[in-house]
Amino acid sequence: MVTAPTEQDIREVGIALAQAFPSGRAHPFKALDDKAMDLASQDAQLKAALFRFVDVVPACRSLDDLARHLSGFLTEVDEPPPPLEAAMRMSSSRAGRTALGAAAARGVRHMAHRFIVGESPQAALGILEGLWKRGVASSVDLLGEATVTTAEADRYATRCADALETVARAARSWPPRELLEHDAQGPLPRANLSVKVSALTPLLRPDAPERGQRDALPRLRQLLRRAKALDAHLHIDMESFDSREAITDLVLALLREDEFRDGPSTGVVLQAYLRDSPELLDRILDSIRATPRTTPLVVRLVKGAYWDHEVVDARQHGWEPPVFEVKRDSDRNFEALSRRLLEARPDVRVAIASHNLRSVAHAVAANRALGGGDADLELQVLRGLGDPLQEALAANGLRVRTYCPVGDLVSGMAYLVRRLLENTSNDSFLADQAKGVALDELLAAP
Amino acid sequence: MSATTAPAAAPPPFANEPVLELRRAPARQGLLDALAELDATLPVRAPVIVGGDRREGEQLVSTDPGKPDRVVALAALATPADVDAAVAAAERGRRAWAAAPAARRAQALLGAAGWMRERRRTLAALAVRECAKPWHEADADVCEAIDFLEFYARGALALEGGGRLFQVPGERNELTYRPRGVVGVVAPWNFPLAIPLGMVAAGLAVGNAAILKPAEQAPGCGAMVVEALLAGGVPPDVVALLPGEGDVGAALVRHPGVQTIAFTGSGPVGLEILRVAGEVPPGGRHLKRVVAEMGGKNCVIVDADADLDDVVPGLVSSAFDYAGQKCSAASRILVHEAIHDALLERLAGAVAVLEVGQAGTFGTDVPAVIEAEAQERVRRYAAMAERDGRIAAVAEGELPGEGWFCTPTVAADLPRDHPVLHEEIFGPLLAVEAVRDVEDACDRVDELPFALTGGLYARNPHTVERVVQRSPVGNLYVNRPITGAMVGRQPFGGNRLSGTGTKAGGPDYLLHFVEPQVVTENTLRHGLVI
Repeated sequence: MVTAPTEQDIREVGIALAQAFPSGRAHPFKALDDKAMDLASQDAQLKAALFRFVDVVPACRSLDDLARHLSGFLTEVDEPPPPLEAAMRMSSSRAGRTALGAAAARGVRHMAHRFIVGESPQAALGILEGLWKRGVASSVDLLGEATVTTAEADRYATRCADALETVARAARSWPPRELLEHDAQGPLPRANLSVKVSALTPLLRPDAPERGQRDALPRLRQLLRRAKALDAHLHIDMESFDSREAITDLVLALLREDEFRDGPSTGVVLQAYLRDSPELLDRILDSIRATPRTTPLVVRLVKGAYWDHEVVDARQHGWEPPVFEVKRDSDRNFEALSRRLLEARPDVRVAIASHNLRSVAHAVAANRALGGGDADLELQVLRGLGDPLQEALAANGLRVRTYCPVGDLVSGMAYLVRRLLENTSNDSFLADQAKGVALDELLAAP
Repeated sequence: MSATTAPAAAPPPFANEPVLELRRAPARQGLLDALAELDATLPVRAPVIVGGDRREGEQLVSTDPGKPDRVVALAALATPADVDAAVAAAERGRRAWAAAPAARRAQALLGAAGWMRERRRTLAALAVRECAKPWHEADADVCEAIDFLEFYARGALALEGGGRLFQVPGERNELTYRPRGVVGVVAPWNFPLAIPLGMVAAGLAVGNAAILKPAEQAPGCGAMVVEALLAGGVPPDVVALLPGEGDVGAALVRHPGVQTIAFTGSGPVGLEILRVAGEVPPGGRHLKRVVAEMGGKNCVIVDADADLDDVVPGLVSSAFDYAGQKCSAASRILVHEAIHDALLERLAGAVAVLEVGQAGTFGTDVPAVIEAEAQERVRRYAAMAERDGRIAAVAEGELPGEGWFCTPTVAADLPRDHPVLHEEIFGPLLAVEAVRDVEDACDRVDELPFALTGGLYARNPHTVERVVQRSPVGNLYVNRPITGAMVGRQPFGGNRLSGTGTKAGGPDYLLHFVEPQVVTENTLRHGLVI
């Protein structure tokens, strides 16, 4: 393709970004005084034990109960390292368990605070404003327990509406940040909320997508109206493949409704690890081109966060996994989709969400090769995992938006465990980066 | 070398037949098309099949539980003479079948599996219509039927090699397994293809002849089982179909020419079979062996540290899928008092949105129960629960106007000795009880005469270990729903009054259909080991 960036272009962007990484924080866990995670990355059994523990923390009723769980998980580790043997000795007495439980709970809470910006949108405003002032936009994501009842769906919808209100109102007093507020296609809302369709209905059924769509539709429509009235952006997250059809059809159908032709700014997610993601992009583009919008649809390109789930689920059923099983295939597809999205402007706005320096550098270089201004591409990172990259992108004058989960420890645990898994995964980009893999190798074509 | 003498290649290792990927629209459309095609040809015929001869009839009629004026199958009614004729044919046919190499028998079973695979959508559609199995359950039933064929075919090949014995110089010891003779199969309607086929295929795989008496509610599916086996290459005098009511099954059980009885069904019928089988009939030369899978009162224990996000959907699926009509379905929840209220509130909300409807409609959560009598039974127990305790939740949608539908219901606050907590209801009625702790829950499970399946949601490994130790059930599921056993992965069967402790789809199931024989030969002659 004539518009593809050269490897040289990509390397130059990558090197510029790498040089802007804050020193001493090349890896987020280097900042964490949490030796457990380092240990966990090296020992699969230990990792399982620690993650099961983190996962169960909110369900424990006392410090004693916490310590009993911790020692229960640790007994399943064949060769516990010395610090953990000490922990297990402590758990033999009540006083020891109380101390151990308190220490463990502190550790988990500490970890959670790196990934979760506050217990409520109100509580998160300080951090959101701080980011904005440093040249970093945000998208708020409300963590929550699974929705299994209508009352829970209603409650989540109300929380989302309140969050839109809270953030939009607060954002009005934020100082101007040109790069975060405009691109060639027009103004960009300051307030930005990501929502999950699975939380808007208890009726998502993989074999009956229409049921969940029907039930979620009125709640999502209300949120779109709210976002439009508040001039906020509403982004609909994508989840596991089981709900992919329901979510895609629901969002595209709503965006075809007349009242949403002129807003609000809305976004969807494309998961590059899905083998059929190129066809899904065709569908999305066909749909929005058939009913043009004044505010272009934002497409957030991600690798996809449910890879392990998708592979295990498919294997258990004897199906071919819907995802690429080799990481390089996902990475290559990500780059191809990046270029297609950039070329699909002005029908879409493009948000590239990755912590992989190569993927990010590729998108930046591809945008420039197409003649796009840096403001015409958005880069997105996750709070807690992408902090150094966020700083580097902002320092390079690129627009970066940080995905900021909000919620309490109970509702945030599933999210936290997923992030920790991602971070200790052996073939993640962050792990390579932390291991000190040479920049040349990190920036090599997939 | 002629093709007929070439040894059949060993089949590849067993793998479960993949269920259809119904989250993809084309897979769903394929099933809806198959249903429309089937509807155009209804009713299907279920003849008496003996020695390859078919005699059609219309004395027995099966209807769609969700639309009782739709006739699904017309069946002939087997007579006492048919029972005698079937046993006589089986007696003739079984010798050559037993003498054939296991590879020949395996080939026939694998052929039957292939026949079913080619028609899997039609077979699933038939289960949808005849037994009101919702699509994913109907499809899973076809897959399980195929799994049994594939699994037992391989099992028979392995068993042909015999068992290992100690050997010393001068003697040769051989342990082999021989078929027992004629297997009478009395089958249920709730897994209308898989369970009958599993029991018949187990008997056939190791060289028995088999006679199937399908459930009177599902003769159409029963006929498909026998058609599949005949099409696959099982000789006509080795397998027979006798549609009928309880008297046909009873005649088969009593018959002196039937050596093994494989039964899945209710407790009272199972006990009666065991009693009758214990009496050697005049002319009988065998102790009849009974492989029986009976009722359950399956409990799920939920400890205080359980993740309700997983528990609630797991319980709903375990209790209400297929309207609670699986042997393995959950009927009692024993939840730690610390989270009882939170669980009950969320469970109630999840049950409130369950959609009761036609099995053939994607999105139906709870289909009709099998027949009017079942509907009446479930309603009777629900009324008792309302009188003596409290109805904590019901599905809020309206029931379809016709058909044997029941409202999915959650009962609470029942007295400890209440019938709803002790008797098998076999319908969409779930009872929730608060317990002091997991030990209290285990005590309550232990009081039951049943021990089929059980569940546990708990995250402390010590708790899991403790409950495993104390649990009497045949199949215990930890942190997952308690139904959906897979052939080869979760061999299935209950203990105590739930069954004879045999495990369908497990590595030792075929041993119940054979008689071991040991031959010891002296190989020492004048000091020479020959």
